Formats: sequence, structure tokens, C-alpha cells
Amino acid sequence: MKILVAIKRVLDYSVKVRVKTDHSDVDLANAKMSMNPFCEIAVEEAVRLKEAGVASEIIVVSIGSKAVQETIRSAMAMGADRGIWIDSGEAALSPLTIAQLLAKVVQAEQPSVVLLGKQAIDSDDNQTGQMLAALCDYPQATFASKVTIADSKATVVREVDGGLQTLQLALPLVVTTDLRLNEPRYVKLPDIMKAKKKPLDTQTPESLGVSLNNSVKMIKVEPPSERKAGIMVPDVDALINSLKNQAKVL
Amino acid sequence: MNPEILGRLHNLLGDQGLRTDPLSCQTYGRDWTKTYEPAPSAIALPTSTAQVQAIIQLANQNGFKLVPSGGRTGLSGGAVAAQGELVVSLARMNKILAFHAQDRSLVCEAGVITAQLQQFAETKGLFYPVDFASAGSSQIGGNIATNAGGIKVIRYGLTRQQVLGLEIVTGKGELLKLNHGLVKNATGYDLRHLFIGSEGTLGIITQATLQLLRAPENLTVLVLGVPEFAALMQILQRFQANLDLTAFEFFSDRALHYVVQDKGLAKPFVTPAPYYALLEFENDSAQREQAALQAFQDCIEQGFVLDGVMSQSQTQAKNLWRLREMISETIAVYTPYKNDLSVRVSLVAEFLKAVDQIVTERYAAFEVIWYGHIGDGNLHLNILKPATMDKAEFFEHCAAVNEQVFVLTQSLQGSISAEHGVGLLKRDYLAYSRSAEEIAYMRALKTLFDPHWVLNPNKLLSIDTSSL
Repeated sequence: MKILVAIKRVLDYSVKVRVKTDHSDVDLANAKMSMNPFCEIAVEEAVRLKEAGVASEIIVVSIGSKAVQETIRSAMAMGADRGIWIDSGEAALSPLTIAQLLAKVVQAEQPSVVLLGKQAIDSDDNQTGQMLAALCDYPQATFASKVTIADSKATVVREVDGGLQTLQLALPLVVTTDLRLNEPRYVKLPDIMKAKKKPLDTQTPESLGVSLNNSVKMIKVEPPSERKAGIMVPDVDALINSLKNQAKVL
Repeated sequence: MNPEILGRLHNLLGDQGLRTDPLSCQTYGRDWTKTYEPAPSAIALPTSTAQVQAIIQLANQNGFKLVPSGGRTGLSGGAVAAQGELVVSLARMNKILAFHAQDRSLVCEAGVITAQLQQFAETKGLFYPVDFASAGSSQIGGNIATNAGGIKVIRYGLTRQQVLGLEIVTGKGELLKLNHGLVKNATGYDLRHLFIGSEGTLGIITQATLQLLRAPENLTVLVLGVPEFAALMQILQRFQANLDLTAFEFFSDRALHYVVQDKGLAKPFVTPAPYYALLEFENDSAQREQAALQAFQDCIEQGFVLDGVMSQSQTQAKNLWRLREMISETIAVYTPYKNDLSVRVSLVAEFLKAVDQIVTERYAAFEVIWYGHIGDGNLHLNILKPATMDKAEFFEHCAAVNEQVFVLTQSLQGSISAEHGVGLLKRDYLAYSRSAEEIAYMRALKTLFDPHWVLNPNKLLSIDTSSL
């Protein structure tokens, strides 16, 4: 059984996000980039399925400039077997375009399970997995917190508002991962060395027959307004007074 | 303290600047050394150098003693006020006064918190390299007064290396402005360096000019499983041949055990290892990463390393660091007896083995937790109090361990306090690391800058009334 995992390279979760002075975008110059945390969870889940003997091959795909190769290598160090880099250069891509590119890869690879993060922490779209399922006409289970595959069926526990929902789905399917699905492992040094020798295939939008017509345009990015500094009050009376009269919460 | 003096202090400092309530006295009267009961007479919170100067002059005229106070995260009792002293807290002198882009330096007041300084540097695209677990509370004045070290010393040095200038009020009440931010200044005795690491015994630091540096790129963390003490130093040597490490730390499996258990952190890998090394380097090119991987490969082949992981993101790097940085906080509940020792890097393996032997042979019931900045030859030895033993008995045993460990340290020409300072805790052991002549010069210097010994009395050096 083949698993395809789609991953995205994003601004590192721990980096303080800065907005460009012209507000055109987030400033990525010299910023640390790494794998989207939800994608990391998707890779981890695939590796666990392989370790459990459920999956036989894990293919990782990522779209972007040359730098995404590094993220693919990182996924291969976690345990993916081979990678596909879709070289889209520096073009800004909408979720639909990404889903169209991934659908072509699904068509070629015919995986039984496609794993994606539920959303990327940079654009927060939460659309790609759903669109991909629609384009491939696969059943989908989003926000997964538990995935079990047996007898050519997948049982997926989903995190829904105020509770959990359990679905049973036929293969092939699309699963998007939520935070509680697993805790990704640290990458071992010997595996980093092995990952350098794993095959990494290059594709382009042209080779996949997808045109990059972006229907979404980002107009402006604004940082959240800064929090006001706190004040020190000398005693409880002053505290109550300022909660009443300044903060107006009492 | 007599009411008349309190009144004068109140006039000087105002309502916000003087506290005598029991809670403040408890809080400001002690540091992280929990062995001493705080008993200050009052807490002064000056807002200017002039106020600090006035307080010191008042102390000299009226014969009361002062304890300079920063973030109070010290571990040697340097900021403890247990003898009715007036605590002089610099907490309200917490402004960054100037930034000089071309000099890559800043001028700040002594009460600026270390983490604020780091963040300020970051907003300027620069880097303040002194960092340690208590950076969120400790203040720069205290960092300078103890010449704080921490986790990046192997690459950037101690606080001393970052200090380009100081403003000091001496124990006499005189104002000194030292070195004025100069890089080069060959005009005789560099008094600045006397105050760095003086533990508040010579003067109170009111302002500092600090050097900022280029921010490191893509700091990447390795955690390696290590089979034995001796292998640690082999690993250091092998990696340093290939890379400039920004950190080289170690901790024992017992230390990791407590952190994993209490903080719910994931172990780096399942392969069991008695010791772990944490290495950090600037992973700024494929060649650099290759160099690290090559060094790792060699260490595996030589049997120095059992297993290892490498951070793939800043988040992972942070989490791996937490395995090391949370140790002190995690074991604090076990009333650890703490020691902070150093020897020359080349003697670390021998030293570790010998200390471990002392403790395990004679005190088999004690649990020993090892960690430290091993790349600097600096070891933190922690012995946990057995739950059944009472505190007094435990500390009595520990005093006996002290004696033996210090004799060993002395025989290797090591230091009985690598970075925590001497304060009250190590004062009576100073002679294990300093000669009688050195101590006599230290006393003479103390008397020179603080003739009435009003500043931090009995810290570092005991008051010998005959010398006054």
C-alpha cells in the first residue's frame, strides 16, 4: 500500500512574524523556514503506518522553489521513501492550483491514502485537502486525530466542534491531520545521511499539465495591534478602582 | 532600622521607592538560594544613579549595610539580606537608554532584564549572546556583578566579554564612569573588570554599555546519547575540529528522566544512554551540515556516541534545549544540594569520574544528577535529598561532600564556583581556589572601594573587624 504525503515549507512556528514595511506580505528575508507542523504530523502518521506494516511505500510531495527540497529531505529523514518536488519557482499559488498539481501526482502514483496537514500555519486556508479529494473524487476525512487502516477500509476519528466523530471510509481516501493525531519524532542523524541518498524526482507545472492561473490576490497584510503595557498598582483598592474605571470590566 | 533614617530614605525615594511590608521583605530579601531566611530592614527601589549615590552615602554616614539586588536568581546567596540590611533593588532602573547602530552597542540601566535585552537586540537585527535558563528574570546589573555565563560561553564568552562600559557608584559613594564604550583603551588599569564579577562588594552598577553581535543563522541542535564520561570530551574534540560550536552541554539520564517525567517532554530517542550531549551550531550551509554529519559518523564509528538526533526546525531546537534548560527547575522540588565547579576542559573527564566516585562510594543512598556546560569545563553537580532524610541532616552530609569535592577541585587547580559566584554559600571555601596572597589583595581592594564595608557585607569575603 502506497501513501502520498503532501507537505509545505512555511515560516518556522517559533519565528516572530514580521510584516514587510509596505504591507505587501510577511517578511521572509533571512527567516527560518521549516515544515508546516500539521504536515510534520502527516509524515509522522505515514511513517507509523509503514512501521506497523500497513503501508509499504511513502512518497512525499512538495511544491515551491528549490528550497523546498530541504523540507522534502527532512521528511525523508523521518522515514519517507522518496520525494517529488514540483518546481513552481517563486509564484504565489492558491489552494485550488495546489490541489490541481497534487491531483496530477495522485493520478500518476495511485496511492491508497493521501495525507495532508489540515492547514498550513502561514496562509491558514484549510482548503487544499478538501479540494484535492473533490478533484480526485476520493472520500475525505479532515481534522483526523486517529487513523486506523485495516481490511481495505480506513477508520478515522475526527475532531469536530465540541466532540469527536468517527468515520469509516473506503480506500483510496484523503486524510487531513489535526494536532492530536501524533507527536512527530526527532530525526536521527543516520537517517539524515540516508535521506540524502533517497530518490527525489523533479516535476514542473508544465510537465504535469497544470497552468498556474492564480485567482486569488493578496492585497494587504497587517500585524495585530500591539498590546498596551501593563501597569503596577500599589494595593487591592487601587486594583479594583482601575478595573472599574480604566479597564471598565467591573 | 531607626525611624529617622527610614524617614530620610522615604524623603529621598518617595512612596514607591521604599518598602517595609513583610511580603516585600520576604521577596526581595532572598535569591534562588533557599537556605537562608530573609530579614532585610527595608527595600529601597531607586530610579536614578543620584538616588543610588545618596543611599550609599547615607549608609556610610549612619553605619547601615546594603545588599544590591537584581533579578535575585543567584544560587550562592549573593543577594540574600539576612542580617537587617537595606536591600537596594535596581528593578525600577530598567530602561534601555541608547542604541548605537554603528558601534553595535547599547547603553542601559542595571535593572533591564536579560531577556528584554536579547529581544531589543533582535529588533535591531543583532544578538546579545549571554543566555541561560533564568534570563527571563535576571537583570543585567546582576549578570555583570556575577560575570554570568550560561549556555553560549563556548562561542561568545562570559558577560565580561560583552561589557564595553560601566557606570558605578562605589562603596564610598563616588561615581565612576568606566571605559565609555571603547573597544580599545590602553590607559592603564582597566577598573571596569574589577567590578565585573565583584558580586556587589565594591560598588553598585547603575548603567552598562554592552556589545551586540551579528545574530547567528539557523542554530541547529544535536542531542547525542553517550556511553561514558570519557567519550563526552572525545565528542567535543571531534566536533570542534569541524565546527565552531555555539553550545556544548551535557546531562545525565537521571536528569533527563526528571524533565521528561515532570514537563511531559518527549525523549529525544529511545536508545538508552547514561549521558547525553547537547551541541548547537550555526547550520548556515550544506557544507556545515555535512561537517556535523561527518563528525557524528566518526563518533559513532569510534563508539563515542550511541545514537543522536538533529533539530529540523527552530521549534524542535527549542524543545531539545528544554530538555537541558528545565533540569534546574525540575529538580528544585527535591531540595538539591547544588555545586558549580570547573576545571580545565582537558581535565573534565578525569574530574567527573573522581567526583562521581566520591559521591557514589560514600553516599550510595543519594541520587546524583549531573549536567553542565561541559564545553567550558563547567559542571553542575546536584545531589537530591532522599525523601526520608530531614533537611538538616542532608545538608550536614552535603557539607562533608563539599570538603572532599573541593579538595579534589583544588588538586586539579579548578574553581569551586565556575559561574554562580561565591556569595555566602562558598565564602568559607574560597581558599580552595584562591591563594592567601590573592585573598589579601581582594580584601585590600574591598577596603579601597568600600572602606566601611557597607556593600554586600560578608558576601565573597567575611568581615574581619580587625581590618576595618
